[in-house]
Amino acid sequence: MSGSLCVKVRASPGRTSTLASRTILQLQNPAPEDSHHQTNSTHHKKAFPVLSFNFDHVRKPFEISLWILLALLMKLGFHIIPRVSHVVPESCLLIVVGLLVGGIIKAFDEDAPVQMLDSKFFFLYLLPPIILDAGYFLPMRPFTENLGTILVFAVVGTLWNAFFIGLTMYGVCQIEAVKLGRVDLLSCLLFGSIVSAVDPVAVLAVFEEIHINELLHILVFGESLLNDAVTVVLYHLFTEFSHKGTVTVADAFLGVVSFFVVSLGGILIGAIYGIIGAFTSRFTSHSRVIEPLFVFLYSYMAYLSAEVFHLSGIMSLIACGVVMRPYVEANISHKSYTTIKYFLKMWSSVSETLIFIFLGVSTVAQPHPWNWTFVVVTVVVCFVSRVLGVVSLTYIINKFRIVKLTKKDQFIVAYGGLRGAIAFSLGFLLPDNEMKQLFLTAIITVIFYTVFVQGMTIRPLVELLAVKKKKESKGSINEEIHTQFLDHLLTGIEDICGHYGHHHWKDKLNRFNKAYVKKWLITGERSTEPQLISFYNKMEMKQAMMLVESGSAAKLPTIMTPVSMQNIQPKEPLKRRAIPSISKSREQEIRKMLRGNLQKTRQRLRSYSRHDLMVDPFEEDVSEVRLRKQRVEMERRVSSNSAANKQSQPWISKQQLGKDNNIP
Amino acid sequence: MGSRASTLLREEEIEEIKKETGFSHSQITRLYSRFTSLDKGENGTLSREDFQRIPELAINPLGDRIINAFFPEGEDQVNFRGFMRTLAHFRPIEDNEKNKNSSASEPLNSRTNKLLFAFRLYDLDRDDKISRDELLQVLEKVDVEQKMSIRFLH
Repeated sequence: MSGSLCVKVRASPGRTSTLASRTILQLQNPAPEDSHHQTNSTHHKKAFPVLSFNFDHVRKPFEISLWILLALLMKLGFHIIPRVSHVVPESCLLIVVGLLVGGIIKAFDEDAPVQMLDSKFFFLYLLPPIILDAGYFLPMRPFTENLGTILVFAVVGTLWNAFFIGLTMYGVCQIEAVKLGRVDLLSCLLFGSIVSAVDPVAVLAVFEEIHINELLHILVFGESLLNDAVTVVLYHLFTEFSHKGTVTVADAFLGVVSFFVVSLGGILIGAIYGIIGAFTSRFTSHSRVIEPLFVFLYSYMAYLSAEVFHLSGIMSLIACGVVMRPYVEANISHKSYTTIKYFLKMWSSVSETLIFIFLGVSTVAQPHPWNWTFVVVTVVVCFVSRVLGVVSLTYIINKFRIVKLTKKDQFIVAYGGLRGAIAFSLGFLLPDNEMKQLFLTAIITVIFYTVFVQGMTIRPLVELLAVKKKKESKGSINEEIHTQFLDHLLTGIEDICGHYGHHHWKDKLNRFNKAYVKKWLITGERSTEPQLISFYNKMEMKQAMMLVESGSAAKLPTIMTPVSMQNIQPKEPLKRRAIPSISKSREQEIRKMLRGNLQKTRQRLRSYSRHDLMVDPFEEDVSEVRLRKQRVEMERRVSSNSAANKQSQPWISKQQLGKDNNIP
Repeated sequence: MGSRASTLLREEEIEEIKKETGFSHSQITRLYSRFTSLDKGENGTLSREDFQRIPELAINPLGDRIINAFFPEGEDQVNFRGFMRTLAHFRPIEDNEKNKNSSASEPLNSRTNKLLFAFRLYDLDRDDKISRDELLQVLEKVDVEQKMSIRFLH
């Protein structure tokens, strides 16, 4: 009744050992070569080998490079075929490629060892770049605003999923007809905990291409990041229990405690490394070239250190990136900033591609004991539990939210719960028992289902349901000012009400940051510099470089990027009473900048997108520069004819074309 | 109207405030206790000094403007009704209220009223010197309904 998909494969650990043995052989027995040499000199029968073939010498790096090259070429190929990439998300195509490659290798040589998704390789080398990229560029504002919701989904949702799936599968296995009576409760719960977690890699890969609005993106993505702690705890918990055999109440209680330890400990380690990294960057002004390395290494160390103690490495990595970023960016040079950005994007892109391809290859390389009931029920139960979980949690969460989550939002959140390579690797790490292969098959099926079916259909569904897309409009400095204004306003009102809400604590944190932390972690004068001026300087430099590159003599009016202006008021500051005082000259500078640049300009960080690097005025085409210069010239001609107090617009958006702003 | 130093708020007053502002009973009582705790002079009204005594407000860059917003034109004291009326602007918009047709007086926390409040905050000398169109257009993009709402504790 149950067929099996059996493929002969040599176990992968064997490969490294044969390589090792070969190298040892070569070191220990130089004799054959010697004798070869001697025969050469004595007999002159063979000529000196001009060209010789020694593949084993470079085997490992060669294969790795080949794999990476293959992955990247595939990635290129998809974008050359436009029709396919519109319908099918990249992740699906990559898995298919992996399947094909695995199949080809199988076809060529039955016994050929197929490079599998080695769990250690995955967790130590492939996963960290993606998470660091995500954490470093995490849009903080929507994340902190929705933190409560995200945490509820991540913790409670994952727990619910794990137990629901585990218990249901146990119930299914008890049914006589399925012939799986051997599976005990703990194994099922372990299986449930592996399959329940939403995967950040898969979510990123799919959601990047559908461009939904910021709120939904941060909800699903934040959930996928934060549920790592829950997954780690549950996994270790159930593995330990499986060994011990019995579970006591004390053990369960310790499990709960360990959850807090894992998550908070991970965050703490990440924060510590982040602060050390920020502190280090304070002194790098003399060796700018190695600045990016500090960022990468400290973050990686944070990840590894957390993994040493079985804490949540992902949360540690994210905490490190988030903590480090504002200070590091104030300290490092512009080039280092660009380097960090590009390297992170590059590494995470490569990692993601490799992960999906290996997922495909590993599928082919496995023997797959197939049990229809188990696998199908798993897929169905996963989906059902996700929907139930999201709906019930949203019902509770909406009581506490100001902006409620609509049914459409709930659907997208539920539908976007994709499983990915983390589940597979965790399954791979399971101790070898009879159930392992069955579990792996089920896990792979779930992953394939979510990535292929849900991944492919989510885009048309988003269109169909008319879910709000990412805001495409370029923000303006005006908007930024008003946002800050409203922040202060709400903080004030909260203080009047005596209500210690969201704004109150955010404001306190900002003040603490300004008063103490910045002094320590940011070099010299920059620590007291109002953010507005530092960004203005950065932008001025970019402008200057752009001018030099485009080789133009015409002076471009400065382009201001909106910046979080904590203490700058939109109108003249009335009383200096308790506001941190800025020197007179600084104030003049700020006022001049505001007057000249309070127009629609590019915003620095609008939304988080992985495939297109954030649009930067610095990276614009020369043609755009030319276009802008033309506009500027036109405007200047127009404005020179109008009243003296009208300002010229450095950047005209479509709505404001023709309108001039009166700035008092 | 609470002109005497009584800590009890009468039921009819609570009902009136509820109708006018839309706060719930418990919210009104809680805010009343806050009002009385701020009212050091115990005369049932707050003066500017009472507000300025709040430490966090002193270091808020917008402190003065916010305080001014509570006091209607020319006056120096604000009673509890006025206090609540101003705070009502910050109540989150309920879904069922959004569907109400434009009646004679819009609820105090409607979108328009929130915007009006914010506008007056900019316009300190109350002479309409800001370009109104621009301000409204910008604030439209900034999600006013969400940003100008505080979840008052129950």
